[in-house]
Amino acid sequence: MLPSPSGNWTVMVGIGGKYTPDFVGSKNGKFLPIPIFTIRRAGSIDQFRGPRDSASIALLDVGNFRAGPAFKYVSSRKGNKYAELTGLGDVKAAYELGGFVEYYPVDWLRLRSELRQGFDGHTGTVADVSADVIVPLIQRLTISAGPRFTWKSTKATAPYFGVDAAQALASGLPIYNARGGAHSVGFGSQISYRINPQWEVHAYVEYEKLLGDAADSPLVKLRGSSNQTTVGLGASYSFDFRIR
Amino acid sequence: MRRIVILWAGLAIASAVLGAAAAFETRATKLQAIKTVGIVSAIGEEMSLTRAGLTGLGNAAQSASISAWGLDELIVQQATKLLSGRFRVQPVTYRRAAFAAIKDSAIAPVNLLRSDPFKELVRSDIAPQGLDAYIVITRARSKLGNGRDVEGVGLAEYRTLLADYGLIHALYEIRIIDGKSFDVIEKRAAAPLDNTGTLRLAGPSGPVDETFGGSASSERLRAAIVDLITRSLPVTLGDMHLIEGQ
Repeated sequence: MLPSPSGNWTVMVGIGGKYTPDFVGSKNGKFLPIPIFTIRRAGSIDQFRGPRDSASIALLDVGNFRAGPAFKYVSSRKGNKYAELTGLGDVKAAYELGGFVEYYPVDWLRLRSELRQGFDGHTGTVADVSADVIVPLIQRLTISAGPRFTWKSTKATAPYFGVDAAQALASGLPIYNARGGAHSVGFGSQISYRINPQWEVHAYVEYEKLLGDAADSPLVKLRGSSNQTTVGLGASYSFDFRIR
Repeated sequence: MRRIVILWAGLAIASAVLGAAAAFETRATKLQAIKTVGIVSAIGEEMSLTRAGLTGLGNAAQSASISAWGLDELIVQQATKLLSGRFRVQPVTYRRAAFAAIKDSAIAPVNLLRSDPFKELVRSDIAPQGLDAYIVITRARSKLGNGRDVEGVGLAEYRTLLADYGLIHALYEIRIIDGKSFDVIEKRAAAPLDNTGTLRLAGPSGPVDETFGGSASSERLRAAIVDLITRSLPVTLGDMHLIEGQ
């Protein structure tokens, strides 16, 4: 039976932003505003979420173990948007569909893994593994931090880091055959503070070191950087409403 | 590709809206036809003791018997008083332990797709049969922290680096089950009572203070749990359109 929508609901609205590399492998960054909107049953806990997590739904939930489908949208990379990409052409937006598993051996440690298959912009496989130590300092203030690792198949790596003969001719970069493997290793940390039951502010930093063929790509070596840092912050306001 | 995704998303939203509208109409019609009801309560035999936040390994939840508190009898009394204005409430007998033993599946879609397990129990376990509907009140579940579930009546502690916080909770859900077809007409979990705490559960709960210590702690704890139930029951029954809105 489908649950009735009447009753108390909590809506969270807010605005955030992040300063992130122009594209994966870029040495320059850009600021992106991000709207925040969630709706959930009143009292439902807004559970820990990492900035790199894909959108996901826990279809299996046994308290400290969760699993379900995951989805990530990877925006397109326009060749004419940044000087470093001149001659490399466009990479279409990609849709990555897959699943996640998440395990809390204790309440303050999250181990998470995602496996996703790309469509459209790339057709490769991506695996993310992360761990987060989540420490509530007081009821309102929580900090978390932990390591990250990403593996990508050749089909998920080549469109972004490979350079074929035509691209080499147009861009001036050497021909490069990018293969899959360990893609990046990194570290992330975030802090959230609940000012009162309505207002919450948060900030995070995610550092990623490109590895393997992604790091060795001429696009990264000659025109970019293998050090990728994203810094984000946001503020949100929650309110309850009742449907009768 | 993008057009196809948008088209499918539009179709899914339209189907959900139409389905919800049809379901509301069916529920309203069925509720109007109810004249006699029986009330079942099975939340108050055990109290859970849970710790979350900064805890050690192997920190399993514990439980203690509170059957002597008579919470289920109190809930039936309160619900009878509230519903008597609109329905003829008849006393019913049932095996409380059988109702308390039923749990939701950990796989969310199973709970949506399978037949509600309480339907069969109402058909086989309640006497007398033949009333228009049965109001079944059982334990509900909520998350506490990241990796803990709490259920029903209990005492929870959330530990942080610099302070610990206590909570009492009375989490329950109410089903209206058709007395002839045994279909679930409506199902609702009791909502939180207010929006003032930063540590919240998905149901009636409140902070624990120092008055719960000492020799008379059991009595005070019972009084606090009874208060949560007494305040939340009219709101929940109102949300289910069984009594006038609170």
